[in-house]
Amino acid sequence: MKLNLNIWRQKSSKDKGHFEKYTANDVTEEMSFLEMLDVVNEDLILSGKEPVAFDHDCREGICGSCSMVINGDPHGPEKSTTCQLHMRSFKDGETLYIEPWRAKAFPVVRDLIVDRSAFDRIITAGGYISVSTGNAQDANATPIPKMDADEAFMSAACIGCGACVASCKNASASLFVAAKTSHLGILPQGSVEQKGRVKKMVAQMDAEGFGACTNTGSCSAACPKGISLDNIARLNRDLLKSNF
Amino acid sequence: MSYLTSTIGKKLLIGLAGLGLSLFVLVHMAGNLFLFVGQEAFNRYAHALTSNPLIYVAEVGLGSIFLVHVVLALLLTLYNRASKGSRYARSAKRTSASFSSKTLHYQGIVIFAFLCFHLRTLKFGPEYEITHNGILMRDIFQVVVDSFQNPLIVGAYVITVLMLCLHLSHGLASSLQTLGLNGEKYDGKVKLIGHAYAFLVTLGFISQPIFVYFYY
Amino acid sequence: MKLESHIPTGAIEDKWDNHKFSVKLVNPSNKRKFKVIVVGTGLAGSSAAATLSELGYDVHAFCIHDSPRRAHSIAAQGGINAAKNYQNDGDSVHRLFYDTVKGGDFRSREANVYRLAQVSVNIIDQAVAQGVPLAREYGGLLANRSFGGAQVSRTFYARGQTGQQLLIGAYSSLMKQVDRGAVKLYPRREMLDLVKIDDKARGITVRNLVTGEIESHTADAVLLCTGGYGNVFFLSTNARNSNATAAWRAHKKGAAFSNPCFTQIHPTCIPVSGSYQSKLTLMSESLRNDGRVWVPKAQGDKRLASEIPDAERDYYLERVYPSFGNLAPRDVASRQAKYRTDEGKGVGKTGMAVFLDFRDAISRLGQNVISERYGNLFEMYEKITGENPYQMPMRIYPAVHYTMGGLWVDYNLQSTIPGLHVLGEANFSDHGANRLGASALMQGLADGYFVIPATLGNYLASNSLEKVTEDHDAFRESKDRVSKQIDSLLNVNGDKTVDEFHRQLGNIMWEKVGMSRTKEGLTEGISSISKLREEYHQNVRVPGDKNYKNEQVEKALRVSDFLELGQLMAQDALDREESCGGHFRVEHQTEDGEAKRNDNDFSHASAYEFTGESKNMNWTLHKEKLEFENVKLATRSYK
Repeated sequence: MKLNLNIWRQKSSKDKGHFEKYTANDVTEEMSFLEMLDVVNEDLILSGKEPVAFDHDCREGICGSCSMVINGDPHGPEKSTTCQLHMRSFKDGETLYIEPWRAKAFPVVRDLIVDRSAFDRIITAGGYISVSTGNAQDANATPIPKMDADEAFMSAACIGCGACVASCKNASASLFVAAKTSHLGILPQGSVEQKGRVKKMVAQMDAEGFGACTNTGSCSAACPKGISLDNIARLNRDLLKSNF
Repeated sequence: MSYLTSTIGKKLLIGLAGLGLSLFVLVHMAGNLFLFVGQEAFNRYAHALTSNPLIYVAEVGLGSIFLVHVVLALLLTLYNRASKGSRYARSAKRTSASFSSKTLHYQGIVIFAFLCFHLRTLKFGPEYEITHNGILMRDIFQVVVDSFQNPLIVGAYVITVLMLCLHLSHGLASSLQTLGLNGEKYDGKVKLIGHAYAFLVTLGFISQPIFVYFYY
Repeated sequence: MKLESHIPTGAIEDKWDNHKFSVKLVNPSNKRKFKVIVVGTGLAGSSAAATLSELGYDVHAFCIHDSPRRAHSIAAQGGINAAKNYQNDGDSVHRLFYDTVKGGDFRSREANVYRLAQVSVNIIDQAVAQGVPLAREYGGLLANRSFGGAQVSRTFYARGQTGQQLLIGAYSSLMKQVDRGAVKLYPRREMLDLVKIDDKARGITVRNLVTGEIESHTADAVLLCTGGYGNVFFLSTNARNSNATAAWRAHKKGAAFSNPCFTQIHPTCIPVSGSYQSKLTLMSESLRNDGRVWVPKAQGDKRLASEIPDAERDYYLERVYPSFGNLAPRDVASRQAKYRTDEGKGVGKTGMAVFLDFRDAISRLGQNVISERYGNLFEMYEKITGENPYQMPMRIYPAVHYTMGGLWVDYNLQSTIPGLHVLGEANFSDHGANRLGASALMQGLADGYFVIPATLGNYLASNSLEKVTEDHDAFRESKDRVSKQIDSLLNVNGDKTVDEFHRQLGNIMWEKVGMSRTKEGLTEGISSISKLREEYHQNVRVPGDKNYKNEQVEKALRVSDFLELGQLMAQDALDREESCGGHFRVEHQTEDGEAKRNDNDFSHASAYEFTGESKNMNWTLHKEKLEFENVKLATRSYK
């Protein structure tokens, strides 16, 4: 099949950026979306042009590198990362607009690549349990109810891709932050520091310039790992509690 | 203090003020139901409200809550727009964001505009007088009936109430979520409460102009 | 070059404790004066950086990704082994040690493996304390599963995301130290050279991948935690950016490279669908518990699987290995699949796949049971292939998964360059010729959390390290050399893309240095690789420029190293005249086609010293004799 692509090209964070038109020929259903872009890039290189820059790595939906919006949807039309999206989800002759995550806190590095170091700084502010190597007690010393362990896992499934921010009209990072604080706060070993953790992480989230959550729920719908909005309620609750 | 200036803290203030206003519209709607009882009942209810000196305290309180709600919401909306920067070339298909949640600020603007008109007509409008049971009072009933003879006003009123319905249906649930009341235990219930509340208020309010328009 | 393994004396159980007591320590107040560079932030790198900074060292951590959390450790699915014996099924440190040495086909170093088994228990404690949500039973205690043919249940797991969860644990520890100002983080940096002064590792030269700037960083010790080199095959289960460059550059600066030919090929991966294929996706081996592997008996049979009657199917694993059947170990199952496709009996459009059929299991157990057991894997398969494995058999094919070889290290994880330490998949020491399932995560974390923190101090305390600065000639020369190499690649402006060369290299490696190797094939492979390498430097096209985020420049540098490493792999495979673990030489097999080890001549780790000059490839082979005093040498059999 053949696709008409409008791909965002931007030289650096200072450049304004614009869409350029490309045609992807000989696309097969079995190709992943990124493989389709690989083929487009190979053609660009051979015709003396610069390939489209995009972040990618594991290509199996877990590293959270890929970060493109396809026709308005972060990661594209399926509930998966872009690397796990296959071309059978598209129709011959379709026109696609491919752009980077849009958020002030995620400046564009080049083309479809954005700088997500704001996420790292949020984690640095408190997204951890303060245990040094060697401090640990036996792993089975504190039983953790299976329900809690499973719930913590569901929150911990976040891959830090930033689709939540990309999908939010306010570019809010609440789902990301909430997934992290929930994962640690639900577990007994992490609940000790929860008050300070949520305060510091929320302060950092605001300092990075992410917008406020207006509870539209678009983040959870865009999340390739299906992180639930309950996490945000829990974050709000924890933040409230941390002030009393 | 840092809590109240954080995005989540601001949201909490907006939400709490919103909950206060939600309560107000419910009470307001319920009071207005005297309209169905008749002229005298309606006027005496209004008189009882306005002649109580506590009304000034209530008005200041309500006004402040309203200001907090509107000013913070406005500031936050501007902040949120700046946080997003540019928008996408196409709009998302795979999203659960409801129409009401995406247009909250537009609803707010319409409701605000209506409110100005509403206050001008009723609070600062014509001062008809009438005596019920030997007490001279303002014939507010007549003001209402006059207004609702105009199909344009009825239409505008209905549209605004529908906006309020949208605003409440998302806003109420959203406030509860911001308070942290959503979650595994309340799964889905919070949204239901929001919708039911909005429906109730809307039904009450919409019935009034329609009743007046066709009955009087 | 002399290989000194520095294995402590004494009984195997006591070696590690004795060693920890006998090593020199650095005074706590002096630790912050030592600057340690950690390259790579996967399980080994993150855990080492976090732990060393907790001890007080001044740690500088580098990674090629935008965030340390994206390192490829994140993709590990299955689990992590530990000799906790929570199941009371007879597990012990000694048994884990024994299984690992035997599973590695007796080509690993006993003392290292024993230590690995010893500290495995502490890893689980550490991970749980960090909040890693490992699977639990209803009683609230940790769950285990069995894995990779082990006879005990010792694998801890977090659904299919064990790697991601453990990495987030290590990463969060690292970020905690960043928060405290104890670690400085350098994301999107790629190490392109090791800088030696007075024969010691004293720093690195890196490229800032966003600005293209070449930077010098000094250090008192350098830790390479940069993972394996499976991507030399172009197609593998590795992430696209996984590469051998840091290790290879260190090798060319004098670090011996050990057992490069030991690569692990995993039998159950989703097959290649076309020439555009960019990577291969692994599916858990557990599928072989209920799936039956087969191909049509006739060559080129293109009928749908459902139209091929049983009599015309060859359930070849059950036929060749009646007692293990479909559960034959990884290397054996992989090789048999290759034989079938070589015979022209492969299935699917490309003919490069075999069937993994659940028909019988579904009719015996019902679809519900199968879905409970493998639901997520079936979904993943359907997502990628668009085919429903409940209705038609899966198509699978082996793929390169892990590399057991790597930079040679002694018991202290120090390479042949003083001050250069190598951790995790990047070193060679623990898995011998074949790695057991769920052992990679264990090794990475063992090295980072528990081994290097104890051994690095010994190096720092027993060497007088003069202060060096980035102005030192060695740093300038290194910077120059790296810049020139980038310029020369950019200036070739040929007709073929970097990926095209990489794909060609991958083909040669897969055909000649893949699952079964012959003297003839390897010799041909070596000459094809060197030809390709020559062509590369004359005909590659690297578009754009070097002073911004340009992935093509990154790839071009990595592929130029793969083109050299590939040759060494082939050379090592040619030299190793035996079959063991992942290395199968057709000339060395038993009458019924099984691997035949040669313990008399090859019970050693091969360590190659680079003795060539820049592009002229030449190596000198050194051997570290492997002694087996605690595990009796035996032949693996799965008949």
